[in-house]
Amino acid sequence: MIAQRKKMVPQKVGLQQLVIVGVLIILFTFFCLMSASFRKYTTLITMASYMYYIMLMAIGVTFPLITGGVDLSIGTGLVCYSIVGSYLMRQMGLPIGVAMAVTVGMGIVFGFINGVVVAKLDLPPFITTLCTMMIVRGLGSILTNGMTGVWPMAGQEGSWVRDLLKYKIGDVTYPVGMVIILLLVLIMSIILNHTRVGRYIIAIGSNKEALKLSGVNVARWHIMAYVISGFFAGLAAIAYACTFTSITPGTGAGLELDAIGGAIIGGTAMTGGSGSIVGTFLGVCLISLLKTGLPNIGLQANWQQIITGGILIVAVTIDMARRKK
Amino acid sequence: MKKALSLLLVLAMVVSLCSIAFAEEAKTYSFEIVSKGFQSTYWQAVLKGCQSEAEKINTEAGYEKIKFNMVGPDSESDIAVQVNMFESALNAKPDAIGLAALDVNALNENIAAAQAAGIPIIGFDSGVPNAPAGAVLANASTDNYAAGTVVAENLYTKIKERIAAATAPVRVGEINQDATSESITNRGLGFIDKFIELAAADGFKVAVIGNDKYVGDSKGEKAAEADANVIIEVRVPAQTTTELCATEAGVVLNQPDTIAIFGSNQVAAEGIITANETLNLCGSDDTQIIAVGFDSGTVIKAAVTAGTMYGAVTQSPVGIGIKLIDLLLASANKEPVQDTDTGCAFYTAANIASDEIAPNLYD
Repeated sequence: MIAQRKKMVPQKVGLQQLVIVGVLIILFTFFCLMSASFRKYTTLITMASYMYYIMLMAIGVTFPLITGGVDLSIGTGLVCYSIVGSYLMRQMGLPIGVAMAVTVGMGIVFGFINGVVVAKLDLPPFITTLCTMMIVRGLGSILTNGMTGVWPMAGQEGSWVRDLLKYKIGDVTYPVGMVIILLLVLIMSIILNHTRVGRYIIAIGSNKEALKLSGVNVARWHIMAYVISGFFAGLAAIAYACTFTSITPGTGAGLELDAIGGAIIGGTAMTGGSGSIVGTFLGVCLISLLKTGLPNIGLQANWQQIITGGILIVAVTIDMARRKK
Repeated sequence: MKKALSLLLVLAMVVSLCSIAFAEEAKTYSFEIVSKGFQSTYWQAVLKGCQSEAEKINTEAGYEKIKFNMVGPDSESDIAVQVNMFESALNAKPDAIGLAALDVNALNENIAAAQAAGIPIIGFDSGVPNAPAGAVLANASTDNYAAGTVVAENLYTKIKERIAAATAPVRVGEINQDATSESITNRGLGFIDKFIELAAADGFKVAVIGNDKYVGDSKGEKAAEADANVIIEVRVPAQTTTELCATEAGVVLNQPDTIAIFGSNQVAAEGIITANETLNLCGSDDTQIIAVGFDSGTVIKAAVTAGTMYGAVTQSPVGIGIKLIDLLLASANKEPVQDTDTGCAFYTAANIASDEIAPNLYD
């Protein structure tokens, strides 16, 4: 039963991915035709830069979504983890390696907490992660005394971390972060589709009871889905800190919606049981393209939000209709 | 026995009278301060000013005369959250309330309630413009409109020769994080109005395009886009975040005719700096885009020192905090209070370390 479902999933998701690629090409062409500044190479670099942290969050959150849950704490979480990292470097003088480890470590810890509450205490993921979202939102401010976070800037010790995403040779900037992203997409795709942890996570989403009855320690794999989400929130925290100049404590609420939206557009079912990391990648590309392209064609900010929301509704409707067939 | 009792009674009365008198001298004040948030280190500096002034007064008095509680929503878009915070502040029955309103219209009802309860309100930073008459007794703030004009004056001096030498219209961008708060709208409008005035004096025509609020409320003679020598493009993101400001700034920076750009607060200025990281178009040279900002913070200070950002206007956030506590105390004692302009100054790499500028800058 589970094997049959697994076989059907790649086919269904594959079609949705093709549709997204088609939409991406059409939209990209449209924006290029409508705006001279969009056609510039630097626009691509900017789009990539603003996409990294959303992409990392989205890859991670795909796993809880596949279990039929969600992780709302990744947005405020990434802000909290990155300002703590900044505090360790600026106020306590610790090296950047330690800051990065703590940043990612905090993500893993909160992911674990989310996972335990959802899997062991059986609380609804929406409420659980909503509560964690509020907790981490305040926690960052408390731990750092409300100090704005600034990771090492160009010329300072530790600024090499920014080069991981954007590397400059002469006058040209290369979006090397995309290489890291594509590698992670590949690795997580293999983990999801070809390893035990991935198969169990999909099974939890499609038929948790059957999995339990077959003697599997469901709680362990359920927790793992949230740990993965937290880990990627930690990575996203580093990416966010390296892209933006300063991080304000208490912000971040809403960032998770771009990530979740991207995963859903990419074919991850909101009811759980199916999903694709490649689909998530494409979904986030679509959201980022809209975020960069719509301002470039002269649309005022509020219209951008309306259009992005509209596209998300269409994507979810298509997904629901497809699954009903 | 009777004599002893009477003596005791008299003593008790005297002691209680003395303690009442003593208690009046040892009066404590509790203030609630509702700010626009802790979204930037600017508000941390205001808090520092409040703390240092309260400490100074308490040390002079010899006891904890002043206690204050400063709160603010997490984001300057959280208007509803600020309304709730103001309600809580009112319920705490303070001796006076300090307020920097995100959206004055949303708070009008609660302000009326404070007035009815006899709690004096002191505005700070952007204050509470258009509040019901008599509700807000005074403001400790920067004259934001004047601050906007200071930016325009310094920027215009820098670019006027380029405007004169241009063979086609040039563009000046203005990034405002919102179109609702008094401080941002006044800075934005102050900049536009002054720029038009200075350009007109030199015979240049200016068009203003973009966000309706700024286009509609700006004064001075505005030309049509097709006829203008200078186009001021005003962009406001949907939410007050650095990433959205950066996106809007990027759009303007990418226009081939842009020669200058203004970010009217720390978030908008940092958005410009972020957008410029990839585009590398800003600098202090005549071939580069001249970026000017507002406030300070580590990132802006570094950009101004390096010349990537030509300059910025600093307020006196610590001064605002100090003046706020003074005004709160005076209003709680029913003393007359007046608006206080806490001042601003334009700084560049040349004077960033000077005695006049440095104390107002913060990380």
